Amino acid sequence: MQKRLEKLFRLFIGLLALLAVVSLAFVIFFIVKEALPLFREVRVGEFLLGKRWMPIAYVGEPSFGIFNFIMATLYVSLLAMIIASAVGIGAALFLSCVASRKARELLYPFIDLLAGIPSVIYGFIGLVVLVKLFMKMGVHTGSCVLAAAILLSVMLLPYIISSCSETILKAKERYLPASNAMGIDKWHAIASVILPASWGNILLSMILAIGRAMGETMAVMMVIGNANLFPTLLGKSETIAAVIALEMGTAEAGSLHYHGLYAAGLVLMVLLFIINAVIAALRSRLIKEA
Amino acid sequence: MKGKMTKLWAYVSIALVVASILFLFVYVFIRGAGTITWEFLSQPPKGAILGMEGGVWPAIVGSLCFTAVAIVLGGIPAIAAALYIVFYCENRRIEKAFHTVIRCISGIPSIVLGLFAYSFLVRELQWGRCILSSGVALGIMILPFVEVRAEKAFQELPKAIVLSSYALGCSKRYTIMKIVLPACKGELISGLMLGGCYAMGATPPLIFTGGVAYASIPTSLMKPAMALPLHLYLLLAQGATSFDMAYGTAFVMMTIILISNLLATIYAARSHAKWKA
Repeated sequence: MQKRLEKLFRLFIGLLALLAVVSLAFVIFFIVKEALPLFREVRVGEFLLGKRWMPIAYVGEPSFGIFNFIMATLYVSLLAMIIASAVGIGAALFLSCVASRKARELLYPFIDLLAGIPSVIYGFIGLVVLVKLFMKMGVHTGSCVLAAAILLSVMLLPYIISSCSETILKAKERYLPASNAMGIDKWHAIASVILPASWGNILLSMILAIGRAMGETMAVMMVIGNANLFPTLLGKSETIAAVIALEMGTAEAGSLHYHGLYAAGLVLMVLLFIINAVIAALRSRLIKEA
Repeated sequence: MKGKMTKLWAYVSIALVVASILFLFVYVFIRGAGTITWEFLSQPPKGAILGMEGGVWPAIVGSLCFTAVAIVLGGIPAIAAALYIVFYCENRRIEKAFHTVIRCISGIPSIVLGLFAYSFLVRELQWGRCILSSGVALGIMILPFVEVRAEKAFQELPKAIVLSSYALGCSKRYTIMKIVLPACKGELISGLMLGGCYAMGATPPLIFTGGVAYASIPTSLMKPAMALPLHLYLLLAQGATSFDMAYGTAFVMMTIILISNLLATIYAARSHAKWKA
């Protein structure tokens, strides 16, 4: 009786755990299944490299090209990551090398609050503050790629700060006592020993941040202007996630437009899987080195 | 020189970070506080353009429903997966595969989860646009979030406690139910609450699977409902007519999320493992 109960429990836990695997399989299966009909009509190369997105043909032929959307997604994410790293690594330096233990314990949860704010609220504040600011500075309508990148970078900050400060703290504990003993100025040691020693892991968290940024929908969509253009710093553009969110409501189920949006979702998902794979490869190399 | 620049960098950065956090919260709370009245909290949205007048009550209830479904559907498998990895799985390969799967799920953008739920649940299974369809998408979204926290809690549990229980002849099931889960209760519950906050703020999975512009208080999981983030988005999409209401909605959402965040942190700290002291 006991034995059987034990086995039953194990089976129960195992099956529930299997749900995680099954859900991933289902997500991939359904996205691919709904994306495939598009590729029967449109060649993959045309879809990825085409610049005309005209899913419903009012005049002429419909055309499905998401090149601009892909570029916008990459451009915004990369830019956001650069801004977030510039500020985030600095803040991490402060937290790990200046702040006392007490101050750190107070500041960490405070910074984590950023991660708790829903992305629509970021979008809202971006709309009423950033976009207005850009408009005053002479950008037509104010919506632009830079506004989206700044907004996104604030959203990325908590992740970059927490992982970087953890890394830097470890490096500091390892090298600072020795450099102190040699009479090297603390900040010089930080700049020339501790920071370089942390680069590997910092790079990892930067790539992770790009991944996070790419999947972000609401905040970006609300300030980027949503026009099918090649991304420029102060121009409008549109990300893959935004296209899906904006057009899914009007796409007739089963139409080519509908399948096109799933195909765009598939491309976004594949991009993220690639980033995941890069991180996994980098991580195992870093661990080997350490 | 190099040292001085770095020092400057660190100080300027932290000042920027703290300033932006303060700005975000102060801005929303000051601008939103004016809209908050009992009527705003307790009435459904009204007006010629929906949401210009009235309140957000159905959206609050709707959001809580979506969140609850997500916590149940995503949280239980997440904790089970963590238990399986830590206590049952003896094969390193399977463990690694599990971790890859979890990481892949956390990499799926929430908008793609929305697409999935629409294609599979709303259309294929004919559930239609309803709370349950969105709940599944949200559940998958928070699954890795909760799993990582649960697994960390289980790993940090001192091996000695678990091994002594085995040594006394207790079975794995008994050990998990009577020792592991109670000992990690604080972390697990706070993990679920934080996952809930995450789900509550997410809009993309709701847009085409179960969130609607207007619905009365949901009476069944098979009905669509309003949600705070979607309501906020739609108010903004209507243009400047409903900005006051948008500030109010943002205020309500921030307050709910901030308070649950705070409660989760306090709860985790209070039940913070006695063995770590």
